[in-house]
Amino acid sequence: MKKNKIPAPKSPKKANPPEKVKIRQLRTGVRGLDDILGGGLPEFSFNILAGAPGCGKTTLAHQIIFANATPQKPALYFTVLGEPALKMLRYQQQYSFFDPAKLGKAIRFINLSQVVLEKDLGGVLEEITREVQASNPSLVVVDSFRSVARKALSGNSEMELQGFIQRLALLLASWQATTFLIGEYSEGEMRDNPVFTVADGLFWLTQNVERNSVVRKLQIMKLRGQGSVPGLHTIRINDGGLQAFSRTLGLVRKKVVPTKRRRLSIGIPELDKMLGGGVLEGDSVLVSGPSGTGKSALATQFLAEGLRCGEAGIAAIFEERPQGYAARARAFGLDLDKPQKNGTLEMLYLRPLDLSVDETMQEILDAVKRINAKRLVIDSLAGFEMALAPGFRIDFRESLYRMIAALTGAGVTILTTVEIEDKFTALELSHYAISFLTDDIIRMRYVEIDGQLRKIIVVVKMRGGNHSKDIREYVITNKGVIIIGPRHTDYARLTSGLPERIGPLEEVAPEPKATGGK
Amino acid sequence: MSNSATPKLKEFARRLLVYEAATGTSAGGGESAAFRVCEKMREPLGKLMGVGGFRMLLSRALTLAGAEIPWLRELQVKADGALGGLDKCEAKLDARATAAGEIVLVAYLLGLLTTFIGPALTLRLLQDIWPKLDDLNF
Repeated sequence: MKKNKIPAPKSPKKANPPEKVKIRQLRTGVRGLDDILGGGLPEFSFNILAGAPGCGKTTLAHQIIFANATPQKPALYFTVLGEPALKMLRYQQQYSFFDPAKLGKAIRFINLSQVVLEKDLGGVLEEITREVQASNPSLVVVDSFRSVARKALSGNSEMELQGFIQRLALLLASWQATTFLIGEYSEGEMRDNPVFTVADGLFWLTQNVERNSVVRKLQIMKLRGQGSVPGLHTIRINDGGLQAFSRTLGLVRKKVVPTKRRRLSIGIPELDKMLGGGVLEGDSVLVSGPSGTGKSALATQFLAEGLRCGEAGIAAIFEERPQGYAARARAFGLDLDKPQKNGTLEMLYLRPLDLSVDETMQEILDAVKRINAKRLVIDSLAGFEMALAPGFRIDFRESLYRMIAALTGAGVTILTTVEIEDKFTALELSHYAISFLTDDIIRMRYVEIDGQLRKIIVVVKMRGGNHSKDIREYVITNKGVIIIGPRHTDYARLTSGLPERIGPLEEVAPEPKATGGK
Repeated sequence: MSNSATPKLKEFARRLLVYEAATGTSAGGGESAAFRVCEKMREPLGKLMGVGGFRMLLSRALTLAGAEIPWLRELQVKADGALGGLDKCEAKLDARATAAGEIVLVAYLLGLLTTFIGPALTLRLLQDIWPKLDDLNF
């Protein structure tokens, strides 16, 4: 008998799980801020821009609306008992982001002062509702919301204020508007404040005086729906408006591309040999030594060799002017002018004394990106630190670490110089305690030999491989740093600076000695 | 303090008043061109600056213009920012004197706006109010 085969039950087709809501992000129009926010502003979010007067709250709001408002998706800017609108327009139009063509159709200013003074909270909400319904805005700003809240609390209970904020948030969310309430708040007011409870985003701006310089900071204290970069970020206000400099320099998201590492010539053949064939691509090299030992000359040779091999370079210089730097290179027969003209070399002269470390690093990173630089010289760390506002010097090592790690990870080879005072008892490498930042350390120093102050060089550390342990003498000629002769075996205690001759007494000095009067 | 009603602004004000007299309409009808110009500016500027803000601006313009054209001193700015007393004054004056006063008043009002927010934004505001007015420039 034929058995009837029972067909196996068909497995039910797997349905795709319903998609999660995707929150669209609006660009802020503020350099660096989108990175800090984790991509941009969450659409339809209800945000507070808080801080003391002069921190840049109004400028930030203006910049955001000018970046986003269009006649089809306009912005409503409610002004309330704060800066008179005419004066606000007078000052804000000085910024480059201010586009007068947007006023009227894309950006509408509405003064609510009268309403706030004459009506209760219900009346204020009614007026806002009327304007929102008439314009269908994509962005709404209330400047200053603090004035509305003050009015709300005069004679009303806190519950009424909470109800008002709740209704306002609901109205603006329903009308699909991304909202900013601007308020002059102090940190102590944050606790139990209904405004902060309802808000999806809380942007805190501060302005602190550090010795003689002013430091502005931004903190994203709260941002629902997406991850922002935590911590305090430096902000600066200039002709372009607000600029934000992420603590992470926007580098955390950058993909580090693993590369097969080559050995790069430093431009001094004997030193290349001491380095085991050259510096490993993507290494961070620290060149330390006292003034006049040729650190900048060596750095210039490193850059020039890169240029000769077709590798673009950046020189971030803090102690000399670019013209002087190029002139010294010229004296060594190295041309830094032509590469600057053809865009393969940029010399960044960063000396203003109130820079934040993140701003300076951003300048360097932008330049590296701009010309696809493969070699970077930072000359010198002491000058770099001096160029910073005093308050930023505390963050110096931390920020430097972030930048060096990110750039070397991306394959850029960095040579940093650091000036140290020679001690005639020990061989100090750097008083910055930054050797953890460096893969390779080259130490230059003076030694007293036979009535002359001569110079020696030694490779102290090389993370990527073996290196020569020799202490070599060098001179600086019209060809730059030249390493001469074999290692000195005729002396002991060279590293102390006061060596003792242990070899034969006959020796020809590398540079002529003064002759006696006879 | 410099005179904010420059000859250029006065010429622009004259053209604006001629344009308004020829094309402008108002709810009540019969008002002077200067009244209609001020009324048309009151709504958008009131929205921008608040009623109080516009009232102050027009009062200032009236004070400055009154120093140049004495009959303008008899005008008042009402609480809602509307210009009052223009019809009564103008009834006593000939057409030439009326026109001269109106030009100066409007020129000072525009001059004050230009002083605060610059010609570009002032023209932008005027363009929204009189979109069909050609050659918006001063």
